[in-house]
Amino acid sequence: MSTLYLVVAIAEAAVAALLTVRLGLGPTTCDRIVALNALTTQAMLALLFFAAYADRTGYLDAALWPASFGYLGTIIWARYLERGLL
Amino acid sequence: MREVLVAGAALVGLFFSLSAAVGILRMPDVYTRIQCSSKTVTMGVLPALAALVIGEGAFSQYGARALLIVALLGVLNPVAAHALARAAYRTGVPMWHGAVQDESLEDAAKKSGDPGDGRGGDGSGKRRG
Amino acid sequence: MFWVLDYLVLALILAGGVLTVRIRSLNGAVMALSSVGVLLGLLFVVLGAPDVAHAQLVVGAIALPALYLIAIGKTRTDVPEDDPSAAGTDRRKEPER
Repeated sequence: MSTLYLVVAIAEAAVAALLTVRLGLGPTTCDRIVALNALTTQAMLALLFFAAYADRTGYLDAALWPASFGYLGTIIWARYLERGLL
Repeated sequence: MREVLVAGAALVGLFFSLSAAVGILRMPDVYTRIQCSSKTVTMGVLPALAALVIGEGAFSQYGARALLIVALLGVLNPVAAHALARAAYRTGVPMWHGAVQDESLEDAAKKSGDPGDGRGGDGSGKRRG
Repeated sequence: MFWVLDYLVLALILAGGVLTVRIRSLNGAVMALSSVGVLLGLLFVVLGAPDVAHAQLVVGAIALPALYLIAIGKTRTDVPEDDPSAAGTDRRKEPER
């Protein structure tokens, strides 16, 4: 069971590696935002599953930052592209 | 039995996450990539968190965090995808050259009394990616 | 066998750092920096330091890109064509949207 959690965490990190390619070569800024959003989600999943593997509930709270502020960051980026931040 | 359920749910989630990554890599323009990102990432996160809830129990700390993240994701992911698509359209990111429909442009043309043909972004739709 | 996750995240952080330097668009470079922050938080958790990971996720993934974003938004980047002092910069060659 514990090894299964670790395998899932490694696989999510490997998916994040695929998304890094699009982050590097996305032709427009919106492509990079899409890739960064999905990469944050994958990192959050890897973090949750690593916490379940290590059996430390203290690791779980760090996953709430990417979950909440990753999407809020996407909304802020979209607003910045549309009409400027300030 | 429980391990089989956890492995199956995690496998479904991983399949959808991988298809999201391949879609974001291979799709031709921004709007199709946003579509891949929003729907498929949601569908990839939900079974993975369901695997965590099944494996650790809904009333453990893992299950509580997983359900909280599901609630956050269900509210924020469509909002983020909508805001991103609107920002991309307003800043004039061109569509793929094979795109056939642009209803926002048609509406704008209808409102100003000018029949538009409703094709492709700002008309300079080069193939990208 | 969690060293696999360790080295994989480390390779991703290196890739993000290289991208931060290599991407010509300023917005893209800030986004690569944000990805470095997120993955560095994941690496800190893998190495067993969740408190450092909290600080890294808040500062490196959220606050630092927001500050860079405000700085970039306040800076003029549209250089006039006949400005001789802008001869060496090729930033305007890439109109990235």
